[in-house]
Amino acid sequence: MSDDIQKVILQLPASAEYVDIVRLNLYGIASKMGFSYEDIEDMKVAVSEACNNSVLYAYDQVDGFVDVIFEVSADALSITVKDEGESFDNVASEERITLHDKELSDVQVGGLGFYLMQALMDEVNVISESGKGTVVTLTKRLLLSEERV
Amino acid sequence: MNTHKSEKFHATTKTEGSVCTVYLSGELDLSVAPDFRLVMEPLVGDTALDLVINMKELKYIDSTGIGILLSILKARHGMDVKFTVEEVPPQIQKLFDMTGIAKFFASQENSH
Repeated sequence: MSDDIQKVILQLPASAEYVDIVRLNLYGIASKMGFSYEDIEDMKVAVSEACNNSVLYAYDQVDGFVDVIFEVSADALSITVKDEGESFDNVASEERITLHDKELSDVQVGGLGFYLMQALMDEVNVISESGKGTVVTLTKRLLLSEERV
Repeated sequence: MNTHKSEKFHATTKTEGSVCTVYLSGELDLSVAPDFRLVMEPLVGDTALDLVINMKELKYIDSTGIGILLSILKARHGMDVKFTVEEVPPQIQKLFDMTGIAKFFASQENSH
């Protein structure tokens, strides 16, 4: 058994129009690895949320890029979403919310993205440095007993 | 299942009697959120209608889409009029349950 990690790297304009390209690539890589339909759907949502954050918060009116790095190993897929814009530090710390304990009149619209990433992936790491951008790494482990797509 | 194709977002509105149903298809994400808002805007304030979103052909929704649904729920709740969803696919229902928005739809099912 080899411990090799293979990488697939995408660089996209930080624009909402390109987030579906990340989902298409994710689908290809994850289905090839043998992830279940449900796991792939979970990862699609989580990765899109990470990309959305880069698109929305990283680059204020200037054109920027988002790097997406897929790291394929024998038993896990890690997806790193990286931008070099302003960090979204505040978003990361304040907005890990759900609606479960709230009345409709009290809920705030927005901020569910980080919560979804954490709920849908096995591991989520966020490194955000002011002025240097944000790196979000999402990991899903591959359970070999699962039904294949 | 054909999930690997990116499908363009579409919204079609049909009104029958006092019920207005918006049929969504494709992927509702950040890039089409403004289109979805535009379709919903004139309907949200109409208190004469029960507003329903049919999600049978919706392949994907992100937190932006859920956020818009939430803001419509809030607005309709404030006017004491209905806003519900129907034929929600399992992978989308899962997100509704996870985020907690599901209970706001469910709480209207036995009213009126």
